[in-house]
Amino acid sequence: MDLERELRQALTRKSPPRGFDEKVLGRIASGEKVALPKPPARWTGYALPVAASLAIVAGGSFYFWQHERQRQMDAEQTARNVVLALQITSAKVSAVQMKVQEISRYERQAQY
Amino acid sequence: MLTAATSPDVPVPSEDDVLAQARAGVPEAFAALVREHQAMVFGLAYHFLQSWSQAEELAQDVFLVLHQNLARIESARHLVLWLRRVTSNRCIDWVRSPRNRREVSMEVVHEPAAAARLQDPMLDALLRRLVAELPPHPRIVVTLRFQEDLDLAEIATIVDMPLNTVKSHLRRSLEVLRRKLADRGHVHGS
Repeated sequence: MDLERELRQALTRKSPPRGFDEKVLGRIASGEKVALPKPPARWTGYALPVAASLAIVAGGSFYFWQHERQRQMDAEQTARNVVLALQITSAKVSAVQMKVQEISRYERQAQY
Repeated sequence: MLTAATSPDVPVPSEDDVLAQARAGVPEAFAALVREHQAMVFGLAYHFLQSWSQAEELAQDVFLVLHQNLARIESARHLVLWLRRVTSNRCIDWVRSPRNRREVSMEVVHEPAAAARLQDPMLDALLRRLVAELPPHPRIVVTLRFQEDLDLAEIATIVDMPLNTVKSHLRRSLEVLRRKLADRGHVHGS
């Protein structure tokens, strides 16, 4: 059996019941309106994947931006800590130096 | 045009002329368009729905929509494409509407009591029933392919689907139909 030939034979055009055209004209004459069927909206098929891609890109960008910002803040904080540590060290060294100078001065005075 | 059909001396107007008259509001011209295309529209609806009354209602709706949109139809060729497209969309909308839902999964087809070899009219009826049990999109692809003898690119344009989707619907549908027929004892060639 050739299926495609059988299908052509089975699915031939078919005449509607007698008076079909008169019924159509009657419905038109009565002022009846029928809405045009909406073609399938193509964008709905793409909407979900596009929305998901945008969400992934936006989420990824936000995460990257947030990560970079945190890294930058950490670096700035570290720099501030280093500066503070240097200031403290410098103050301590100055204090020690003054003490040493004072002791040296006393020793010189004692010798005279 | 309408008088021309009854008089051999007057040339028969082309379908574009009839269309122009229908657009101009001549009811007889519109009736002639209905008569010219009713077998195509009704056939598509009937093979899709397998219901005489539903197919008639749907086909009438299609011609009402045509009457409301005649101004958009550019030519007789465009008219045929437009009718096929609107009928196809309406068929799919029809089965998707909860009011009219009559969908059967591609894998769920009723088994007949007898698997004996059938006579051709019975085979035709069985084929129509099996086609009507396909899901909506494969069903309209098969109906357009074998009722209207359209190539796959034309079907893709009418149903607004990618060509590969149409090919896939047709291939899978034919596989399912072959399997279902083989289950009923019908041996097939190609």
